[in-house]
Amino acid sequence: MAVYERNYARYSGPVTPERTRYLILPRYAYEAVFKSRLFVGFLALCFGPPFVGLLIIYLYHNASALQLLGLTPEKLAEMFPISNKFFYTGLWIQGALGFLLALFVGPSLVAPDLRNNGLPLYLSRPFTRTEYVLGKMSVLVILLSAITWVPGMLLILLQGYLEGAGWLARNWRLGFAVFVGSWVWILYLSLFALAVSAWMKWKPVARITMALLFFVLGGFGAALRGILGTPWGLLISTWSVIDAVWNSLFGLLPGDETPPVGPSWFVLAGGCAIFLWLLSRRIRAYEVVR
Amino acid sequence: MSNLAMQSQTNAGPGAPVASLAPPAPVIELENLQVQLGGRPILKGLTASLKGRCIGLLGPNGAGKTTLLHTLLGFYPASGGTARVLGHDIRSQMREVRALLGYMPESDAFIAGLSGVRFVRLMAELSGLPPSQAIERAHESLFYVGLGEARYRTVDSYSLGMKQLAKLAQALVHGPKVLFLDEPTNGLDPPARERMIRLIRDIRDAGDVRVILSSHLLRDVEECCEEVLVLKQGQIAVYCDLEAERRGNKKFLELEIRGEEEGVHASFAAEMEKLGCEVAEGARQRLKLVMPDGVEIRDLYRLAAERQVQIRRLDYKRDSLEDIFLKAMEGSGDGRL
Amino acid sequence: MRAAAKEPVHTDRQVVFENVSKFYGEVLGINRVSLSIPPGITGLVGPNGSGKTTLMNLMVGLLQPTRGTVRVLGIPTDHPEELFRHVGYSTQYEGYPPGFTGYQFVESYLRVHGLPRAESEALAWKAIERVGLTEAAGRKVAGYSKGMRQRIKLAQAIAHQPSVLILDEPLNGLDPMARAEVISLFRELADGGLHVIVSSHILHEVDLISDQVVLLNGGYVVAEGAIEGVRDEMEEEHPAQVLIRCQKPSLLASRVFENDHVVEARIHEDGKSLLVRTRDADRFYLMLNQVILDNDLGVETVMPTDADVNAVYQYLIGGNGEKS
Repeated sequence: MAVYERNYARYSGPVTPERTRYLILPRYAYEAVFKSRLFVGFLALCFGPPFVGLLIIYLYHNASALQLLGLTPEKLAEMFPISNKFFYTGLWIQGALGFLLALFVGPSLVAPDLRNNGLPLYLSRPFTRTEYVLGKMSVLVILLSAITWVPGMLLILLQGYLEGAGWLARNWRLGFAVFVGSWVWILYLSLFALAVSAWMKWKPVARITMALLFFVLGGFGAALRGILGTPWGLLISTWSVIDAVWNSLFGLLPGDETPPVGPSWFVLAGGCAIFLWLLSRRIRAYEVVR
Repeated sequence: MSNLAMQSQTNAGPGAPVASLAPPAPVIELENLQVQLGGRPILKGLTASLKGRCIGLLGPNGAGKTTLLHTLLGFYPASGGTARVLGHDIRSQMREVRALLGYMPESDAFIAGLSGVRFVRLMAELSGLPPSQAIERAHESLFYVGLGEARYRTVDSYSLGMKQLAKLAQALVHGPKVLFLDEPTNGLDPPARERMIRLIRDIRDAGDVRVILSSHLLRDVEECCEEVLVLKQGQIAVYCDLEAERRGNKKFLELEIRGEEEGVHASFAAEMEKLGCEVAEGARQRLKLVMPDGVEIRDLYRLAAERQVQIRRLDYKRDSLEDIFLKAMEGSGDGRL
Repeated sequence: MRAAAKEPVHTDRQVVFENVSKFYGEVLGINRVSLSIPPGITGLVGPNGSGKTTLMNLMVGLLQPTRGTVRVLGIPTDHPEELFRHVGYSTQYEGYPPGFTGYQFVESYLRVHGLPRAESEALAWKAIERVGLTEAAGRKVAGYSKGMRQRIKLAQAIAHQPSVLILDEPLNGLDPMARAEVISLFRELADGGLHVIVSSHILHEVDLISDQVVLLNGGYVVAEGAIEGVRDEMEEEHPAQVLIRCQKPSLLASRVFENDHVVEARIHEDGKSLLVRTRDADRFYLMLNQVILDNDLGVETVMPTDADVNAVYQYLIGGNGEKS
């Protein structure tokens, strides 16, 4: 009695390897997010500072170009010394841009799945909650990596290449700092954005929450610092905390405005743990209502 | 018109194909399955071996039907006992179990902002299909359930009926061996309900898929299922074979009569009782009767001709499932009239 | 298309629509509807978007017609205070004040309508008992299962003992036992003289419980009345179909063809049944008695295949559904 010409048929073709299935999520997310011209523009902008960094490094090693600009090597070295401070500043800028990126992309990661009870559909397949979180994190991790340590490492390699033998060996700590510093920020930021997205249904609300948490806590941190008189008060300000970590990685002396390093690492790790816990509360197949 | 003729119920049982072969392996085996939620025992030791091609899951609210489905899907761990789906143990082989399952949840379930095609494609890929195959099968699946151009619109904009179809499409797209359907006709208007039931029967007949249908509408279960598992307060109240029940109902008849005189039902019933039948009045003034040996249908017609009464309907008792269910709720577990 | 009523019921005991139209701006709700709904259980049937909810909202006075008048038991629907005393309404939507228990939900509704505390309490408990939720009444509605929410809505609708009950899909989500209980409650109320107007998509249930039906499509009333009457009226364009399962279908075919009201006799694909179409079902069935007695046919079952709400729905409204 069926009117349908094509009948239901089982699938007996090849299947994709299970280990990389979580990457399906970033692929779908990118299909959607890259449609926004605003986003593409912003992403292009994020490559601006590394590009400037590239130019500077290039200028160091290209006298004729320098002359064209009317600069001398000494002047250049005065303006942009290629030291740990140089890369630290780069990371700082990219970190800030990364925050804006997370603000843009983050809220739409988990909320659409939760809003209409989509999780059971994911989890009724051979797909675990861990893979889900990993997949969603990857959306941000990949983008953030692309604007932080990837250009950072490339610049270091470039500098090493142009400077010649030995520079890299002497300055391996720079590479290490860029890499680890980026990853700490990436992990923290991604988990933060995911947790907010899991708990806030609407994108504008999520974005405001993220921004508020950031800046308000930052404000409180500064206030506490003033009241208590010690830098420990700054531990509740995310920005100060990550700054402290970066400073220590790059071997720079922290100013008065940075909290102590050890506790800062602890705060970051603790934050990630809290975000993971918040995620696990929301990412489930069914809520037990009682 | 021919539509209606074909929908008429033949004696083989509504919707069952003429020859039904006993399926070889049990779909689901429950071995003293126990599940606790929030500290409270919900499933209190279920043991059964479900073999049919389409199995109905019935029970009052809170009996544990959805919990059972969710446990088999791995959303909750079993607190005791175990279960097997097509031979795979849910305690140790949950990934394999999920790979064979397709699930159509009762409540709204979709991902906001995705079009029908993208949604089903994503689900297909998550089940392991390569992207090229996923898009092909997504379209096939959407066509099969009957979503046409709407597939390019976001699922958010769908009507309730279309959302149900989208849910079914994502449950089928990866070609599962077992399908869990939870209240599939919920909220559908009559033509959409008919279509959904027809689809389910199609899938059951043509597709080499085993279907578990959980529903409150006994009619739906009766039209699609050969076996029924009735749960009550976390335990199995009854598990029975509907085909066998139907075949055994030959002597139980249902009559609908129409006549000119007042009180024709009562007087006709009285005459039949005089012949030796047991008569009871059901809904819509239909008469249910059991004919003893020696009384034939012919005798009923003789009565009717004498009294100028029209026998508008003469049929075997078709609400066996309702009886089975009510008996199960009362706790006798037998299921016969 | 009006089926003959068994006895004329005064308009003061009916729900009456007089040439009512309702538009939402340009969008059609219902168009030129005239209805008189007598007491008893009335099934309201039609596809989504056909105007059922509009019709119900008009009956309850939540909406005023763009044209025409609606009167419930003689009370015009623009007199809400008077109307609400006689009308109980249960919608599809679920809106509960957060934190309310089942009892509070019902009792507060009564208080809002100005009933004193003692009376509200008593009536609330009575209603809760009637729907079988006495034990659960102390729990919060937010924790109820779907079936329980349906029943507490029903309790709220019947608490003030209205004469007219208007219920939008009241059986949605109820398990078979609860369905049977609520249906018998409807029967009780209807036998007591109430109007119980129920909208539903489950046609075989509508068939089972309704005394009369109203079919809507695209904002128009397509048919109304007792289903047998409606079906009889349709016999000209849609001859009645009867499926007879017997051992000698061909012999039966030749016999029935001797009558001029039989327009078609077809042997069903399984070879054991005969599908007959006739323009006069009454004469056909009486004739059938004799045919069966005069011939040894071995009749097993006799079934009309298109005499129920489902068939009427298909004939008049069709299976357009929501395929797009």
